[in-house]
Amino acid sequence: MLRGIWQLPAGKLSVLFLSVIILLAIFGPALAPYDPLVGTDHVLAHPSAQHWLGTDYLGRDVLSRILAGSTISVLGSVQVAVIALFVGAIPGILSVYLGRTFEWLTLRLVDTLIALPFLVFAVAVTALLGNGIPQAMLVVGVMVSPAFYRVARAAALTISRSQYVEAAILSGASIGWIVRKHVWAKILPAIAITLANTMGTGFVVVSSLTFLGIGVQPPAPTWGGVLASDLGYLNFRPYAPLFTTVLIVLTVLAFNLLADVIRDVSGESGRALLIRREKKRGRTARQTSATIPPTPHGDPQ
Amino acid sequence: MASIHTERETLAYGGASAGLSSRWAVARSTLALAFRSIIVFVTVFFLATLLTFALQGLSGLSPAHLQLSESATPEAIAALEHEWGLDLPLWQQYLNWFGGIVQGDLGRSWYNGADISLLLTSRAAISLSIAGLALLIGVTLGAVLGITAAKFQTTWIDRAITTFTTFVSVLPPFVVGIGLVAIFAVWLNWFPSAGYVPLDRGGLGPWLSHIWLPSLALSMEAVADIARQLRVGLIQASRENYVTGALVRGLSSERIFWGHVLRNGSGPALTMLGMKFPNLIGGAVVTEAVFGLAGYGRFAADSASRGDVPAVQGVLVLAIVLVVAFNLLVNLLLVRLSPASARGI
Repeated sequence: MLRGIWQLPAGKLSVLFLSVIILLAIFGPALAPYDPLVGTDHVLAHPSAQHWLGTDYLGRDVLSRILAGSTISVLGSVQVAVIALFVGAIPGILSVYLGRTFEWLTLRLVDTLIALPFLVFAVAVTALLGNGIPQAMLVVGVMVSPAFYRVARAAALTISRSQYVEAAILSGASIGWIVRKHVWAKILPAIAITLANTMGTGFVVVSSLTFLGIGVQPPAPTWGGVLASDLGYLNFRPYAPLFTTVLIVLTVLAFNLLADVIRDVSGESGRALLIRREKKRGRTARQTSATIPPTPHGDPQ
Repeated sequence: MASIHTERETLAYGGASAGLSSRWAVARSTLALAFRSIIVFVTVFFLATLLTFALQGLSGLSPAHLQLSESATPEAIAALEHEWGLDLPLWQQYLNWFGGIVQGDLGRSWYNGADISLLLTSRAAISLSIAGLALLIGVTLGAVLGITAAKFQTTWIDRAITTFTTFVSVLPPFVVGIGLVAIFAVWLNWFPSAGYVPLDRGGLGPWLSHIWLPSLALSMEAVADIARQLRVGLIQASRENYVTGALVRGLSSERIFWGHVLRNGSGPALTMLGMKFPNLIGGAVVTEAVFGLAGYGRFAADSASRGDVPAVQGVLVLAIVLVVAFNLLVNLLLVRLSPASARGI
């Protein structure tokens, strides 16, 4: 599957871009040419040789702030996705095995989590619980977990009721072999797609929260925070939001692209693969691509 | 009771003519379905309020944090908590609070003792103006784009619209908002970049010019989703056998499209609208921050930073009520459009 992703141009592009972003998140703070927290007299300067992206309203180097802020912004979305994976997938699998009461209860809880107005809740709960990064990650992680619940539950349902697993057991296959051969192959692509999608969502939410100043204390640099401070001085540096917005949009695009590529490669829904094949065949075939039913409930977010 | 029956009946069956007995059967099954969907919504509402109520315990905050100094004696704290009814058993506190909600009473703020329902009303007016207009833009623009793409499928128009919706759907609302401010407020100076004028004070023009940009920023996600779902739904519906049947019967293609295809193909888009509505209500926090508006998102963030739990709960309950009510409406609309969809509840 990994080789398949790499063979598609879109897959290569998204993987390369995301690697750069993750390297940025790890080494960014060390690469910053200036102290991101210390202001100078050089207020609201335009980009120059000393300050490649100019300075903000306190004279702090914008490039340094973006580099230093990449840790929270990027690793935050990874944390959100991992928390969501555990909070969602475990009850999702258990819901198939633990009886109808548990099933009904978790299903209604998932309904409720989906119905909650996401951002207002994330903001309010994070601020109430002490306004720190761990709280923010936990709250957002729990709120995006229904996507994993559904994926895990669907996979567990198909496996628990499938005849090929039953047949494998009857023909004397070991549990380990069944898990490797059938269960893994069924769950892994679905989990990977949801993980990539959730990281994209988590990234947007973390950026939104830091933009609002929720989850971080003011001087700490974040991409959302840089954007927020640029917003107040549009008259002086009207191009300033461009740097952070381009970074944010490209990262989200890369996550979504990666999810699509995994879906293509694993043939999970078959939708994207079919469209691509038909494109090659020509214009008339394109019409058929629309016949694949939409999955409003399958898409996380 | 009789009036409800007839209402549901027409709701389920529209203007179609049928025998009286089968009409009754349909009405009865629709009633049962409506009842079942109402049970689902009531459960969701109940659980959501329970989660909201639990915030008080989870946060560990009490009015003592806001009103008393660090050196307050345990007796003073206990007296204050007794005054706010916080020494009662939890279930009783929940019942009291829930009873208040049902009557529209959201309690009093820990911060200044003001009635939260009153505090919220003017702020909610701002947020709901924006969310309402965003919904309107989302539905209209989304429908226009989706229908256009479906009617001109496989042409460059379709491809252009699909590219546009794909791109727009990944843009976070605050990025769109900042872009709109930079272009239309700072550069072109067509609209104000911040602030709000109530409808009853400035009239329609100023009101619209202040909420236009925030609504547009908030609506983009809905526009993209509705356009995409509608396109797929319409193309799918246009291949059904009843469309061929209608063609054979000699109906004009326009009539088939507006009468048959649109009605049957708009289900997925409507479902999507119901699912995305929480984002419209919740996204207000960010758009309000971009456009410097004092709506309920700002109120929630400010109150939460102060530790004013009842005020935060008030905002959340309002948002929950809106989402649940809207989804109930969407479900009823879906049943009205195609009664078969009710089976999915």
